[in-house]
Amino acid sequence: MTQKELNDQRLVREAQQAVLRMHSRRHFIKESAMGLGALALGSFLGSCGRRDSSSMTNITFDPAHPLLPKLPPFPGKAKSVIYLHMAGAPSQLELFDYKPELMKMDGQDCPPSLLEGKRFAFIRGVPKMLGPQAKFSQRGQSGAWISDNMPHLATIADELCFLKAVTTDQFNHAPAQLMVHTGSPRLGRPSLGSWVTYGLGTENQNLPGFVVLTSGGRTPDAGKSVWGSGFLPSVYQGVQCRSEGDPVLFMKDPDGMSRDLRKASIDAINEVNSQEYTTYNDPEILSRISQYEMAYKMQISAPEVMNINDEPEYIHQMYGTKPGQACFANNVLLARRLVEKGVRFVQLFDWGWDSHGSDENLAIDVGFINKCRQSDKCITALILDLKQRGLLDETLVVWGGEFGRTPMQENREGKKMPFKGRDHHTEAFTMWMAGAGIKKGYSYGETDEIGYSTISGKVEPFDIQATILNQLGFDHEKFTYHFQGRPFRLTDTRGKVIEDILA
Amino acid sequence: MRVLTRKKWLLVISVLIIAVSLFRCSTRRQPVDFTTQVKPILNKNCITCHGGVRQKGGFSLLFREEALGKTKSGKFAVVPGDPDHSEMIRRITLNDPEDRMPYKHDPLSRQDIDILRRWIKEGAHWGEHWAYVPVKDVAVPGPATGLLKNWIKNPVDNFIGQKLEEQQLLPSSPANKETLLRRVSLDIIGMPAPRHIADKFLHDNSEQAYAILVDSLLASPHYGEKWTTMWLDLARYADTKGYERDDSRVIWRYRDWLINSFNHDKPYDKFLIEQLAGDLMPNATDDDYIATAFHRNTMTNDEGGTDNEEFRTAAVLDRVNTTWQALMGTTFGCVQCHSHPYDPFHHEDYYKFMAFFNDSRDEDTEADYPLFRTCNDSVQQQLSALTSWVKQNVSEQKAKETYTFLKTWQPAYNSLTCDSFTNSELTDTKWLAFRNHAISRLRNVDLSQKNLLIYRFLGWPKGGGTWKIHLDNINGPVIASTSFARSKENAGWQYAETALKPADGVHDLVFTYDNPLVTDSLLNAVIFDWFYFTEIFPGSGKPGYAVMKKNFWKLMTADLPTTPVMMDNPSSMHRGTFVFERGNWLVKGDKVTADVPKALNPFPTNAPRNRLGLAIWLTSKQNPLTARTMVNRVWEQVFGNGLAETLEDLGSQGVPPTHPELLDWLSYQFMNDYNWSLKKLIRTIVLSATYRQDSKVTPELLQKDPYNKYYARGARVRLSAEQIRDQALCISGVLCDSMYGPSVYPWQPPGIWLSPWNGAVWRQSKGCQQYRRGLYTYWKRSAAYPSMMTFDGVSREVCTARRIRTNTPLQALTTLNDSVYIDLARQFAKRMQKEAGVDTKQQISEGFAWATNHTIDNRSLQALVKLYETALDQFKADKDKAKKMLGEPGKEVSVETAALAVVANAILNLDEVVTKN
Repeated sequence: MTQKELNDQRLVREAQQAVLRMHSRRHFIKESAMGLGALALGSFLGSCGRRDSSSMTNITFDPAHPLLPKLPPFPGKAKSVIYLHMAGAPSQLELFDYKPELMKMDGQDCPPSLLEGKRFAFIRGVPKMLGPQAKFSQRGQSGAWISDNMPHLATIADELCFLKAVTTDQFNHAPAQLMVHTGSPRLGRPSLGSWVTYGLGTENQNLPGFVVLTSGGRTPDAGKSVWGSGFLPSVYQGVQCRSEGDPVLFMKDPDGMSRDLRKASIDAINEVNSQEYTTYNDPEILSRISQYEMAYKMQISAPEVMNINDEPEYIHQMYGTKPGQACFANNVLLARRLVEKGVRFVQLFDWGWDSHGSDENLAIDVGFINKCRQSDKCITALILDLKQRGLLDETLVVWGGEFGRTPMQENREGKKMPFKGRDHHTEAFTMWMAGAGIKKGYSYGETDEIGYSTISGKVEPFDIQATILNQLGFDHEKFTYHFQGRPFRLTDTRGKVIEDILA
Repeated sequence: MRVLTRKKWLLVISVLIIAVSLFRCSTRRQPVDFTTQVKPILNKNCITCHGGVRQKGGFSLLFREEALGKTKSGKFAVVPGDPDHSEMIRRITLNDPEDRMPYKHDPLSRQDIDILRRWIKEGAHWGEHWAYVPVKDVAVPGPATGLLKNWIKNPVDNFIGQKLEEQQLLPSSPANKETLLRRVSLDIIGMPAPRHIADKFLHDNSEQAYAILVDSLLASPHYGEKWTTMWLDLARYADTKGYERDDSRVIWRYRDWLINSFNHDKPYDKFLIEQLAGDLMPNATDDDYIATAFHRNTMTNDEGGTDNEEFRTAAVLDRVNTTWQALMGTTFGCVQCHSHPYDPFHHEDYYKFMAFFNDSRDEDTEADYPLFRTCNDSVQQQLSALTSWVKQNVSEQKAKETYTFLKTWQPAYNSLTCDSFTNSELTDTKWLAFRNHAISRLRNVDLSQKNLLIYRFLGWPKGGGTWKIHLDNINGPVIASTSFARSKENAGWQYAETALKPADGVHDLVFTYDNPLVTDSLLNAVIFDWFYFTEIFPGSGKPGYAVMKKNFWKLMTADLPTTPVMMDNPSSMHRGTFVFERGNWLVKGDKVTADVPKALNPFPTNAPRNRLGLAIWLTSKQNPLTARTMVNRVWEQVFGNGLAETLEDLGSQGVPPTHPELLDWLSYQFMNDYNWSLKKLIRTIVLSATYRQDSKVTPELLQKDPYNKYYARGARVRLSAEQIRDQALCISGVLCDSMYGPSVYPWQPPGIWLSPWNGAVWRQSKGCQQYRRGLYTYWKRSAAYPSMMTFDGVSREVCTARRIRTNTPLQALTTLNDSVYIDLARQFAKRMQKEAGVDTKQQISEGFAWATNHTIDNRSLQALVKLYETALDQFKADKDKAKKMLGEPGKEVSVETAALAVVANAILNLDEVVTKN
């Protein structure tokens, strides 16, 4: 049988199989309550291997391929998401939540009313209040308060939408990060990015649909579970792109093997697999053939997109990138490149925001300021760059930590700390969003005069998740997966779309 | 010839099948069956709103008594015998979409409505879900046709044959010997058969050849490794503790216990009893204790600032969920927050069940207490000598107590249970620390017959100070007062003792500490790990007392390897169990006592109400779930899918079994005739004709049965992550078949391990150790071995009942480019050159045969030879490339070897190699 005949036969069979599986493949189809019937076959075309021009071949639809692009249940404003997670939890009191009253209390004992019945990670006994360690001004038309720690971001205040009254119920990093990304403080639930990839598939078959970039020298506290697929098939987990070694694990051919030799080797593998197919007729073999073709293409696309050297100088200036080094700015630029290439969900984790005051790097008046410097310029550049490329309208950018920081100075084990620091605080912190149908130059929610508790517009991680899903075209209450005898959803039994911030 | 035979078969059988079907059609209508006909309709359309959690309109269809009750409107939804007066029937047949049920959904089909009407008319009988009814002895169906009679090898085929007949399908011809050899080896030992076993089979043309092969594989020590690999996902086994810090945990002795247990074919009931309650068994052996590490694979949170009680509770909940999920195929997690929406389990059932596990000694300590200390022979001898001395000179009870303490340091109070701190603190929320003028409290200590306190602590180099223990409160009488000796800088954990004044009964103890030498008010001068309240070493005055007392101290402080195990609190430390309102551990409801759900078999009357009793209940032949769960799992390992696809959920929301009678027949055999022997169960399955079929598929069959639910062909399944690795090691001829011991570190790309607050590094194992089977690979939960994760391995944070197989380009990239697979390709190439002659075609053909167990066809050989020539040309033109390909820069290398390594790499990537045909 010639390659052409084999191919035609394969396509017909695949189409038949597709129909059959649509009816019976439990894992991928039945379990989605919103129904993956809305399969966008056409948009898959740009990616798969051999095809000819007959109408049948337009359905280059691989039934065993779970990543094909799908339409959301309703048209969403966002096509992709860039989620910037400042791991360790940055202090809202030195960035966006301006509290002059707190300054007046600086150095005083914390009033008992703030301590009774509360649990803190490290504060013991009666700590002192710590006034804002930054200068604030109102910025732009919107008059948003932004401290001098973020001078660049201050210039684009009118693009951002602040959520000033975010709360959580987890005061340790790992569970709180899991809460933000998986809707549960325990391990085992799928992450936001996995849900999105599961629901929407990927636009660019030559790149993973859900990419994770980390900086700050550490992975987040909760480990890879914050981008894990939980009970969803593992194919939906985030793929960590690395700044050293292979951009994606095992992407690089072994030393000594040229690209054309790799091509020859994949051709040989696929030829033998085709022979096997004529004997066994199992469609899984065809599926494997196309996975090898895709792998070959991914080997070209992934290093290409991960190589920031081809960006013009002004872009490097704008982001403050350092090609060849592992740094947050490079990752932010990569995020834009990935989104541009059709990657659905880009998750950044920048480690080092845990400003307890236990050493210089973790001091609110030293290390924290450095972290701000490292991220201010590139995040600003990201928003402006997306805007100039017309991508901001369809890209949702989210910034935040896993909780906030206390208005009190930390006194670990009742002791004075060597540097100024703040403990973990769950009752009020700030996040912001931009792009993709979110109000510009807007601020939602308010905290009390010392930034301890919320007064209005309180939101929890579930609400933010619901809102992100909403912008992507999902009703978070209907977007479920059947597991362990019941339908699960990202927002568990909670979550409300924050209607007030939708443009 | 074969084709002709098949056609004849087809004809004869078709005629018979048509005859049978015609007969069936003419029989009378059967009464409606609740389980198979009614329940699916209710589950699909009604139960989301009218179930356990949501009972809209005051109507629930979960239990019969609820369904027959009066609803909120005052009407009866279901009136047995009277569909016309049943509100449910009225509501589902209305035309007005506002009132019609299911609300806001399409109306039920005419057939469904008819079934519900008939069901009510016939009395609305409630059926029990198949999986909650004890397994009965099922009659083996007789073969209907003469031809199938010849096909049948054992009763498995009778059940499969019956369904094939119903579906008008024919079994496939048997797979050839080579294919069958590879298949059954991968299934029984998880890797290709050792050569002597393989050769014997291939050269033996007798009837029994295959059975002999199966028996030799079952007898191979690799058998235990393969089935342990499966069990590790269920046991959520890992070499680290999980959560943020994810530090190392030494628990591999449990993995070795599994290998041995499988290899000795320990009866499955015993296998479970030991894992659940080995510590509680009379005269528990070391192995019995190690077995209980099963439930110590829960995670421990070492992150500073975390609430130890919260994570202790999380571990207990995990034990409950895992027991149900892994051993009884039931998702019990739902019941943590509310009554089960679909299955007959109540909210309290969860906590009653949890009470069995809630009295264990573990408390989220950093050391993972309680630990079982493994002694080498000479230490064990000393321990035995000491124990028998105490037995002879004091009492058997005291001897037991001494033995338990020296083996486990239990029962001790962990210092992290202290509270009420002044100038003291739980440092890093793990250990009690004293600063100068410290006060803190240890609650509810039973001091009856105690006159000595032994404690584990970190001292301050200068020592000194006074530690006083006050009875009941700070003004209470001082029952102990002691000072600390000087100690070396960084001396590590030390042990000391202090005498206690007699004080009967249970008391709170208040500790005070004052040390004038401590001038820094913030210095933690003493840090405690645990406190053991006991009696002065007994037998004073008896011959040999002084030596024995010294030996006691020596054994207590000896540096011995440890394994976390299960142990229960003594009655004086009993922990009550409460319902958590809506699953929240901070909101405690009613107190409960240990019990099992009423919906299943009753708790055995003479069994103790502890984990041991629980284990006896769980392995009772009356337990409807235990045997079915395991049989279904074994079937899945062999055929790729369970008889019931959802291994994790045999409940009413799971996928019903394709062959319920076969599942029950095998389960009954397993418990009774096989006396819980796993090897016998596997043997029966793989000796069936069903198993031995060819896995080729025709387009017609593919259309009729795309997922091989009826088994008209052999299974064709991608290998597991571990099998892919193990097989590649075998093909390349480098497998290190040493067994047991600490986990190993094969090559891993740099930069995978970057946990915050944990400086652990991956140190690659040396020599042969890096070529050990996948199950020995060090498993770090937060950063599990990447190539195995790509092939659907699981991180093992919690129990995973089933891996879902995916097919992605990242898998291709792993076997193409992972340095492990490149290394193996080089070794494979060298093996081809060494063992397969000098002719390239010959080398490639043989290499292919090692990998697939069959002769290569011409086109495939041409494709691989062409690849070889392309590579050879390139390497000849650029020798540096050849050196790099072989990883030997700077050396003289053979371009032929390099070219063959490229071919070897391709062979290791073939679909046929990563798939079980």
